[in-house]
Amino acid sequence: MDMQTPAGAGQGAETPARRAPRLGALLRGATSRSARVGLVVYALALGGVLGLVSADYATSGGYPFGGTPIGSWTAWPKAGAFDADPYARAVNARAGDIPLAVGEGMLLTAAADDSGRTLDATCTYKLSGITPPARAWTLTVTGRGKAEQAPMRDNFTSTEILRDADGQFAILLSPEVQPGNWLPMPRPRGPVRLALRLYDTPVAASVSSLERDSLPAIERVGCAR
Amino acid sequence: MSRGPFLLATGAGLVLAGLVHVATVLAIPRFAEGDAFSRAQASETLDHPLRIHGLTGEAPPQESWLPNPDPAVSVGVCSYDLDDGPMRVSAQAGSLMLSVSVHARRGAFYALTDQAAVRGGLDLVVMTRAQLDEALANDVAGEVTRDVRIVAPARRGFAVVRVIAALPSQRAVADAAVQAVACTIDSPAEPTEDGKG
Repeated sequence: MDMQTPAGAGQGAETPARRAPRLGALLRGATSRSARVGLVVYALALGGVLGLVSADYATSGGYPFGGTPIGSWTAWPKAGAFDADPYARAVNARAGDIPLAVGEGMLLTAAADDSGRTLDATCTYKLSGITPPARAWTLTVTGRGKAEQAPMRDNFTSTEILRDADGQFAILLSPEVQPGNWLPMPRPRGPVRLALRLYDTPVAASVSSLERDSLPAIERVGCAR
Repeated sequence: MSRGPFLLATGAGLVLAGLVHVATVLAIPRFAEGDAFSRAQASETLDHPLRIHGLTGEAPPQESWLPNPDPAVSVGVCSYDLDDGPMRVSAQAGSLMLSVSVHARRGAFYALTDQAAVRGGLDLVVMTRAQLDEALANDVAGEVTRDVRIVAPARRGFAVVRVIAALPSQRAVADAAVQAVACTIDSPAEPTEDGKG
């Protein structure tokens, strides 16, 4: 693209017979200089646009990395810490979020079930098992964007849960009414996310020791349609 | 023939993109206006936490900015500027679980829950190194202070108070428990007065 311009300019300059060599050399110098300037402008524009767009992409939405995967859950013990990675700090600053500090509690999120399929609002899921030791925990389901109407329930706390005789529990996340601990889907369709917040938990300091079995299993029971 | 300069320019552009990316990510927390640090400044003049996520009633939208709040937790913030003096956060351990975390612009540097309460009260004092030295010098010998003294890494920041309502019937109590916390500026003379009395 840069080489076509000097050719065209050279042809136009050849018509005055005598001055042609000097003018041609001058023009060639000017075009090669402008080509160099063009390349510099291209490099600057590429760097600026690519850098800003990638930085915007990495810091909007969720944390790009820094989580510890445990089964289908991801633990975020460091998201609000003083030594959090720069991306987590940028994400928090843009969203205005105040994550739980290590001594306060820990956030775990899940966006897929145990077989790796994205949590879908038209399906029914069974969350069962145990939770790591904590004084209290809350489980919240969120969809993307604002809901048309506020859901009648979008969370459970550890105190509200109905438990079996052996202390285990099962929560049914479903668009249809279910017996027991029913958590309604917040949206008619689309992906949903689960957030499990453990409060005053000793595991926040040693996430790597958490086993897959110490967190509730997310099992897909069935899907409408 | 012309590919050389073009590839060189592309390479330089990609290297520049990396530099711009890193610089932007590092600069975002510093220049953000909607982050918790900037928004918490609204609570500077209050002597109790500014409730930013309540469980009862509708909070004014400019004060409930948390993107994904826990629907069972009442949250309040107190901002501090240690140039005015150490900040004391006083809370009474009630029936509900309460936690206090102290944040600087970079993130949280300390947190404790009501399990650390001494005789039902929780006293957290955020101070600079110099203010801590002064407080230690003013301590009466042989007397044990029940204050938890924290040296802050920066002069400005905010404390976050969270109270969990485990049941819907406790929501009003949780909101009241956040409001009942006191965030006051310790005047330097006060610790010695307390010690004598």
